[in-house]
Amino acid sequence: MRVVSKMIVANVLHRPIRTIVSILAVAIEVGMVLLVVGMTNGMLHEGAKRVEGVGADVMVQPPGASFFLGLTVAPMPIKLADRLQEVPHVQAVAPVLLHFNTTNGLNLMYGIDMASFDSVSGGFVYYEGGPLQHPDDILVDDWYAKANKNKLGQTLNLINHDFHVAGIVEHGKGARIFIPIQTMQTLMGAHDKASIFFVKCTDPGYTDDVVDSFESLLPKYQIMPVRQYMSMMTSNSLPALTDFVRAMICVAVGIGFLVIFLGMYTTITERTREIGILKSLGASKTYIVQAILEEAALLGGVGIVAGCIGTILARRLVMIYFPTISVDPLDGAWVLRATLLAIGGTLVGAFYPALRAAQLDPVDALAYE
Amino acid sequence: MEPIIVTEDLKKTYRIGKVMVQALRGVNLIVQEGEFVAIVGPSGCGKSTLLHLLGGLTTPTSGKLFIDGNDFGSMSDGERTRFRRHKIGFVFQRFNLLPTLTARQNIRMAQHIQGNGFNPHRFQAIVDMLGLHDKLEQRPYALSGGEQQRVAFARAVICEPKILLADEPTGNLDSENSQVVLDMMRTINRSFRQTILMITHNPEAAAIADRTVRMRDGHIISD
Ligand SMILES: Nc1ncnc2c1ncn2[C@@H]1O[C@H](COP(=O)(O)OP(=O)(O)OP(=O)(O)O)[C@@H](O)[C@H]1O
Ligand SMILES: [Mg+2]
Repeated sequence: MRVVSKMIVANVLHRPIRTIVSILAVAIEVGMVLLVVGMTNGMLHEGAKRVEGVGADVMVQPPGASFFLGLTVAPMPIKLADRLQEVPHVQAVAPVLLHFNTTNGLNLMYGIDMASFDSVSGGFVYYEGGPLQHPDDILVDDWYAKANKNKLGQTLNLINHDFHVAGIVEHGKGARIFIPIQTMQTLMGAHDKASIFFVKCTDPGYTDDVVDSFESLLPKYQIMPVRQYMSMMTSNSLPALTDFVRAMICVAVGIGFLVIFLGMYTTITERTREIGILKSLGASKTYIVQAILEEAALLGGVGIVAGCIGTILARRLVMIYFPTISVDPLDGAWVLRATLLAIGGTLVGAFYPALRAAQLDPVDALAYE
Repeated sequence: MEPIIVTEDLKKTYRIGKVMVQALRGVNLIVQEGEFVAIVGPSGCGKSTLLHLLGGLTTPTSGKLFIDGNDFGSMSDGERTRFRRHKIGFVFQRFNLLPTLTARQNIRMAQHIQGNGFNPHRFQAIVDMLGLHDKLEQRPYALSGGEQQRVAFARAVICEPKILLADEPTGNLDSENSQVVLDMMRTINRSFRQTILMITHNPEAAAIADRTVRMRDGHIISD
């Protein structure tokens, strides 16, 4: 190892707290970027997969609805279902009233009509119990039941209403919680309304024809083949989400930058005399800038590795303790991006302190106590 | 032969706010290669300032300064740094070793900065001469003042500088260690024809030099 590298390592070890804090800051920076991306993508992919799991070929939403199911503004009259049902090649139409429930974490609830939802989806797989029969019945999927320790027959209070757990179903059909659509309408004050229609064609090959017919029937409505919806559910194609991810990345990079800046700045002050010594030995400005940037890069590098390992561990923990939250595994492109951002932030943060060090007057620096 | 150091009416004025301190008021000094010069004088007379100027750590306010035929006045900051790297070795009263590095690493640091790589023969010769064998893996805090100053010497001469500038090298040492350091300087001067300028307050130390320059109030008063 070059002797200057030894000096850098020795300096890093000499102030363990500063070193740990700097490494931690970069690790948090990297971890935050990777987790935010992993969680948003995980959420999107998982949500999209569940929508696909409903088994519909076409989705119909009211004008101005968001692709984020559940953020729908004004629902549409449920009677439209009858008109859609009459369109050629339509096999079944399942109206669903959506609600984002915030008890026990964010959970999408579907208000469904048992018969039509079964015809579109091909029916639930019941691990325990059976279908919705009474207005107060509720179905939860196995993950939700596991996360909240729900038992068949127990009372579950959601939306200020006591439900009776009638069945525990296999996950993957749109939501984790299902109640009768009439009950949902009453609870939401949305009588005879639905947020979305899931439509099944007699054959998937008729999807485009059905979409065309729907569009002439219901202009301005959002009508979309499910497979198109699937391809859209990546954070890149969703501007709001991209902005969110960007904002989080800015915060993360800002944290890393500031901590490294402060850490290196205090280091320079503390080592004024040593910098004077290097200058008396003939070290050029470039030499000093380089040594300080290398030190920062060392902190940054260790922080990046720690951040990646931390993300992997955090993901495991999330999957164990929050089974309903999905986090995508580390993505090579994003690891690279997070690494470049962290290295960039580290070097920029260290650059001003390094420049200050290089510009110290050697005589003053040597006289520094 | 051309002298290694020539100064002509060298002046240095420091400014602290509105106060001007005239540290050097016109110094004319000529030193030949291989000379061992002691610089003495009362505190504040400008001895350290002169040494810093000769080593290119700072620039004169006016006057001329030639080292080894190079005109310092016409050099940029970077050129002076390069010059110092290759031609000047410093030894200080306070040793000034890098505290996080071992004795060996401190010495090699000088070689690294100079950029000519590690010369094991030179390293061995210097370590032998200074009796530093069993101290090489120690860090400065574990060394006595005399040992630290020997390491500082090794670091200063490892790259064969043209001029060794020593600012009160025995100022922080007891008489025994002072003697060791002075003997060392004598040896380096004799065996390598090393040019040495040494500031000292100690008359005994001045006595081992070939020549004593006396300063007062920023002037040389006797040579
Ligand atoms: N960096 C500086 N800024 C301002 N004034 C300085 C500076 N360095 C030295 N001086 C002043 O210049 C004068 C000469 O200082 P210098 O250090 O050269 O003296 P010296 O002969 O080495 O003294 P000593 O024997 O105490 O080391 C002093 O009055 C000192 O206060
Ligand atoms: Mg002095």
